Amino acid sequence: MINSDMHGNEIKWKRRSSRKARDIAARILGYLALGFMLAILVSIFAYIIKGGAAAVSWNILTTYGNTSDGGVLNGIIGTWELVGMGLLFSLIPGVFGAIYLTQSVSRKHVADAMRLFTDVLTSVPSIVIGLFGYLVLVIKFNLGYSLVAGGLALGIMMLPYIMRITEMSFRNIQREQVMNAYALGADNVNVTTRILLPQASAGILSGILLAISIAAGETAQLLYTASFNSAGLPSGLTHSPVGYLTYFVWNGINQPSAYAHNLAFISAMILIISVTVLILISKYEDVVGRLLRRILGPLGVIINRVFVEAPSEKEDKGTSKGEKKWKK
Amino acid sequence: MSLVPAFVLITILAFILVYAWPSIVFNGTTFFTSYIWNVGISSRPPVMVRGFLVPPNASFGALLFIESTLLSSGLAILIAFPVSFLVSLSVELYLPGRAKRPLVSLIELFAGIPSVVYGLWGIVVLEPLLLHNIEPWMSANLYFIPGFSGEVLTGSGIIASGLILSLMIAPIITSVMVNSFDSAPSEIKQGLVSLGATKWELGKYLATGYSRSSTYGGALLGLGRALGETMAVLMVSGGIVNVLPTSIYSGINTMAAAIVAYLDSAIGQGTGINLSALAELSLFLLAISLVVNLLGRRIAGRGALRGVENDKF
Repeated sequence: MINSDMHGNEIKWKRRSSRKARDIAARILGYLALGFMLAILVSIFAYIIKGGAAAVSWNILTTYGNTSDGGVLNGIIGTWELVGMGLLFSLIPGVFGAIYLTQSVSRKHVADAMRLFTDVLTSVPSIVIGLFGYLVLVIKFNLGYSLVAGGLALGIMMLPYIMRITEMSFRNIQREQVMNAYALGADNVNVTTRILLPQASAGILSGILLAISIAAGETAQLLYTASFNSAGLPSGLTHSPVGYLTYFVWNGINQPSAYAHNLAFISAMILIISVTVLILISKYEDVVGRLLRRILGPLGVIINRVFVEAPSEKEDKGTSKGEKKWKK
Repeated sequence: MSLVPAFVLITILAFILVYAWPSIVFNGTTFFTSYIWNVGISSRPPVMVRGFLVPPNASFGALLFIESTLLSSGLAILIAFPVSFLVSLSVELYLPGRAKRPLVSLIELFAGIPSVVYGLWGIVVLEPLLLHNIEPWMSANLYFIPGFSGEVLTGSGIIASGLILSLMIAPIITSVMVNSFDSAPSEIKQGLVSLGATKWELGKYLATGYSRSSTYGGALLGLGRALGETMAVLMVSGGIVNVLPTSIYSGINTMAAAIVAYLDSAIGQGTGINLSALAELSLFLLAISLVVNLLGRRIAGRGALRGVENDKF
């Protein structure tokens, strides 16, 4: 081993064994950290599911209740009603926004600014959306505590996820395929319905599932937009409060009675199981996607046939704006 | 349609600002210098103070909430950052490649667990553990560290909130780090290995050298999420009023938690100043969340976050 550099100064070599020891220490610490995280994950699931499973009964799952008495059925149905409402408000702007971003925005900095706003919207604290929902939707727009107000508050949270993931799945499509379509004379509508949407369907679905899983677990937006309905289901779209599972968890555990604690655990168990299933499907979207593409592939073509007439004079639009966009 | 998010964001900011304005004028700088938050006596007729009709004795100082938010989020990042680094190191370098995807998915499950479920777990499991085992031990053995001496009265407070928050933000930091290790050019990784670097040195170099920006950016994104987290912290923070924390065992009350806690009484209050004060608190919370998040995205750069955007941040 050379112990001096070309000027004759002595070089201090770190001993190989100490570097090796450091590597082994890092490996052990890494496994410990991973084990620690997984142990906590197991602990959370075990405690919630143990607590929920011990108390659950068919009666509780099928009756309406407030958080200290009765069942959780109004929470289960209310949660999915609110999430569905949120999806209603966020799906169309999300998917169309992503299509517009990929297909029609020609200046890069405009698209980047739009993306930035979308990303930043995810960082708005949920209680700020909740307060906004109360002040503006419930009071100013006079929706009252309701399905629409709660759904809009959830939709604000879901929109950026759906939009960004949809756009990302568009970007993952092979550029050659899109270019070929343009070269064969397809216009933007054709490319969108025949290539982008069918190819990205799995990605879009995974975005929707993720957004649903996030929305189903939210509480702070809903406390003062959907309030809580202990009597049962909301009677209308506005001015009628809605119950939801997360409220059972929060309110139940803060009450002294053991029955309320049980309801909290049951609600938490339902939440954690449904959210986990949704997330796992969305994480393994490629597996799900392979199945889906087989089913939805022709659907894009059908949609196109029904809604768009066969291109007749548009043949020479080969160098449309869209193609330039994909060329970059 | 692509403009909807921008429109929503600006609408939220504008409305919150409009609602917060009376409180901003009324409170002035005492909002940031006083820690006394008093909703006033609503049973007595409102009085005129500094040109505003307010309930008697009302005072809105948010110092306690600001300090609580910074303490809990700071502790969360102190715990989550090294843990995430070690986890991403072991997942990326030490464990076999086929274990990576399931493990990363499991870690990412942490981001999907509803925050009330964290709160429930915190109340049932974490708080008793802290109260009876961990905190008394820390108080008896680590008292020489500033802030670590003091009486342990409850399990809820800074440590419980910080721990829960660290669980919630660890998946964010982990996925940014794993992704940055992945996206580093293989020339660099192979070059390091062929020069004889151990895996630890490879990881250390990537995290502090080549992928430095995504390391810091990921940490900031995690911090941005910790600042605004509401329900879990509300359930384990202790909901302290008008007392600044004296040690790490003290209870706290973060900005987000305080908004939930005081909203009910503010809604019933006739003068509207209480609601306005909560709007001011929201505005401040929103502002720092946005700044931290923007800074994180700016530092991490777009490339570093590509592919991890399916995650909750």
